Amino acid sequence: MLRIEHLTKTFGEKLAVDDLSLHIAPGEIYGFIGHNGAGKTTTLRSAVGIQSFDAGEIFICGTSIKTDPLACKRQIAYIPDNPDLYEFMSGVKYLNFIADVFGVPAELRAARIADYAARFELTDDLGQPISAYSHGMKQKLAIISAWLHDPKLILMDEPFVGLDPKAAFLLKGMMRELCDRGGAIFFSTHVLEVAEKLCDKVAIIKQGRLIRSGTMEEVKGDDSLEEVFLELEAD
Amino acid sequence: MVKTLLKKQFAEIFRSYFYDTKKNRARSKAGTIAYIVLFVLLMAGMLGGTFGAMAFSLCSPLVEAGAGWLYFALMGAIAILLGLFGSVFSTYTGLYLAKDNDLLLSMPIPTGAIMLARLLGVYLMGLMYSAVVIVPAVVVYLITVPFSGAALLGCLVLILLLSVFVLTLSCLLGWVVAKISVKLKNKSMVTVLIALAFIALYYFCYFKAMNLIRELIANIAVYGPAIREKACGIYLFGSVGEGNWIGMAVCTAAVALIFGLMWKLLGRTFLSLATATGAAEKVKYTARREKQRSAASALLRKEFGRLSSSANYMLNCALSTLLLPILAAVLLVKGPAVVEALSSVFGGIGGAVTVLFATALCMAATMNDTAAPSVSLEGKNIWIPQSLPVEPWIVLRSKVLVQLILTLPGLLLAIVCCLLVLRPATAEAVPLAVLPLCFAVFFALLGVTLDLKRANLKWTNELAPIKQSFPVTVVLLGGWFLAAALAGVYLLLAPPFGAAAYLWCFAALMAAGSLALYLWLRRKGGTVFMEL
Repeated sequence: MLRIEHLTKTFGEKLAVDDLSLHIAPGEIYGFIGHNGAGKTTTLRSAVGIQSFDAGEIFICGTSIKTDPLACKRQIAYIPDNPDLYEFMSGVKYLNFIADVFGVPAELRAARIADYAARFELTDDLGQPISAYSHGMKQKLAIISAWLHDPKLILMDEPFVGLDPKAAFLLKGMMRELCDRGGAIFFSTHVLEVAEKLCDKVAIIKQGRLIRSGTMEEVKGDDSLEEVFLELEAD
Repeated sequence: MVKTLLKKQFAEIFRSYFYDTKKNRARSKAGTIAYIVLFVLLMAGMLGGTFGAMAFSLCSPLVEAGAGWLYFALMGAIAILLGLFGSVFSTYTGLYLAKDNDLLLSMPIPTGAIMLARLLGVYLMGLMYSAVVIVPAVVVYLITVPFSGAALLGCLVLILLLSVFVLTLSCLLGWVVAKISVKLKNKSMVTVLIALAFIALYYFCYFKAMNLIRELIANIAVYGPAIREKACGIYLFGSVGEGNWIGMAVCTAAVALIFGLMWKLLGRTFLSLATATGAAEKVKYTARREKQRSAASALLRKEFGRLSSSANYMLNCALSTLLLPILAAVLLVKGPAVVEALSSVFGGIGGAVTVLFATALCMAATMNDTAAPSVSLEGKNIWIPQSLPVEPWIVLRSKVLVQLILTLPGLLLAIVCCLLVLRPATAEAVPLAVLPLCFAVFFALLGVTLDLKRANLKWTNELAPIKQSFPVTVVLLGGWFLAAALAGVYLLLAPPFGAAAYLWCFAALMAAGSLALYLWLRRKGGTVFMEL
C-alpha cells in the first residue's frame, strides 16, 4: 500500500530524514513514533506529496508520488498535526468542498456526512463557521473529511491530539474498520499506550533514522513499548 | 515589555523587507535597501509628487495674500482625509482581530502595552499616508518663505499632530466597526458597506474641496479674514505650520486631549472586543443534498468564499468591481464633455483622445488585484490544496479567474460606454476594446506569479499580504505606471503610425506577456506552489 524506499530529506544542513525505508501493507495500522523533531512529520508530508525530498522513492499502491502525484493523492487522505482548515467556510461547506475535489457523488457524500457527523456528534455544528470551532471540533471535521472519499490509505500526524475520549475511541474503531476493509493507516503519535494497543506494526525514528520497525512483538518483545522507546532514545 | 512588543510589531510590519520567506532566511543588506528604496520611490514619487504639485500651486498665492495658515489648513485637511483613508481599514483588523491577541492576552502583559504595540501599526499606516501630503506641503512652504526656526518647528509639530489626529480618528472608527461587528452575523459585508460609505464621503469631500480651494484662492482677500474670524479653530490649526506659538500650544493640547479620551475608551473596551467570539447565535444546520461540482468549480467557489469572508480583502483588492460600472455610467454622462476638453488640449496629436481613453480603461482594468495576495492568503491552510488530487495549476487558475470574473463584466461595460461616447473608426475601436482586456488578463496572471515568488504564508494579520506585500504594491502601482506610460509615450513621441497601430502594439505586448506568464504558471508555477 505504502512503500517508502531510502527516503532522505535535508533542510539546509540539517538532515531531517536519513535513508528511511518502510513498507505498509493493506490491512495494517502502522504507528510511527519518535521524539519531537525526529523526522515524523517530514516523512508523512513527503508521503502525501506536499514535501519534496532529496533522495529515495515513495510508492502508493505501486504508483510513485514523484511521477504521478495526483494518482497517489486520489488514493489517500492526510490529517496534519494541526487541523488548520478553511475558517471562512462552515463545517458542511468544507466537507462538500473536499467531496467535490475527490468526486464523491452527491447521494453518497450526503449519507457519509450524516453518518460520520452523527458518530462524532458534530451534526448540529455543521452549519457553524469553522472559525467558531474548538480545536477538538476541527480535528473531528478533519477526520470526517479524510474518511469522506473512502481512501485506501490514511496518513495522520498526531490524530488523537485534542480529541475527547469518546471521539478518540471512535477514531480507533474507524481506523480498524478501514483496515479490515483492506485499507491501511500510517500515523504518528506520542501516546505510546495507544500505539501499543492499536498498531499492528510500529516504527521508531530517531534523528531522521529508522532505528527499529516491525510487528509490535518484534519491536517490544516482552517489555512495554514505552520502555523500549525510552531505552532506544537513551542509546 | 513595551519595547519587546514594539520590536515584535515592527518585525511583523517590516518583515517582508528584511526576510525572504521563500528562502527562509534574512535578505541581504542590498536586497533590503533596494526594497525600501523602491517602496519610498513609489510612495514619495507617485503620491508625494501629486500632492507636491498641488502644494506648489497653492502655496505662493496664499502666502503672498498673508494666508499661510489657510495653506496649511487646506493641506492638513487633505492629509487627514488621506491618512484616515489609508489607515481606517486596518484599524479594526490590526487592533481587534490580530491572530496573536489570545496569546499576548494570556501572558502577563498589561492590556495597554498590547494596545500600544498594535496602535503602532495603525499609526505608521496613517503617518505614511498623511506624510505624502503634508511633507511635500511643508517642503514647498519652507522653500517659498524666508527661513525661520519657528516655522521649521511649527511644520514639524504640524506633521506630528496630524499623524496623532489621524490615529485618533482611525481608532474611533475602528472601535465603531468593532462594536457593530460583535453583534452582527455578516460582519464582512457590513464592514464593506461602512467602508464604501466612507469612501463615497472621501471622494465627495475631495471633489468639493477642489472647488472650494479654487474659490478660496480666487477670493482670498474676502474669505481669509472671514474664516479667521468665524472659524478660529481652523486658523489656529493652520497657523501651527507657520510657527504660531499659541496655535501650537492650543492644537497640541486639543490633540492630546482627544487622543487621551480615545485611549481611555479603547482601554476600557479592548479586552471585551478583542476576545469576543462573535458567535452570538448558533447557525442551525439542516441537511440538504448538495449538487456535485467539479474540482475546478469547487476551488473557484472556495476562492470567492475567501474573498467574501474578508472585508479587508474585498475593500483593498476588489473595489473596482463596483467602480467599473460607475466609471461606465460616468463615461456615458460626462464622456462627451471629456472628449471635447481633451480634444481642445490634445487635438494636435491625431488619435490622442483615443489613447487617453484607452489609458483610463487600462488603469481601471488593473485596479482589482485579488490575485496578488491570493497565494499568501492560503496561509496555514496551504496544506489543503497541496494535498488534494488537483493539478496545482487548477488551484492557481482559480485565483486568476476570480480576478477576471470580478473585473471583466464591468470592464466590458466601460469599454462599450467608451466606444459609444468616443465613436472611433473601426480600426481604432477594436484595439481600444482589446487593449484593456489584455491589461486585465496580464495583471491577474502577474499577481499570482509574483505572489508565488514572494509568498508570505506566515502572517498573523491578513493585512500583511493584502495591503503591505510586494506583489500587491507592484501590481497596483505597476498597472498605473504602465497605463500612464501608454499615454505618456504617445503624447511625447506622437508616433506617425497612428493610435490604432500604437494600441495594437501595446496590446500585443500585453498579450505576449500574458502568454509568457500563463506558460510559466502552467509549467513551473505548480512546482513552486507545491514547494511553498
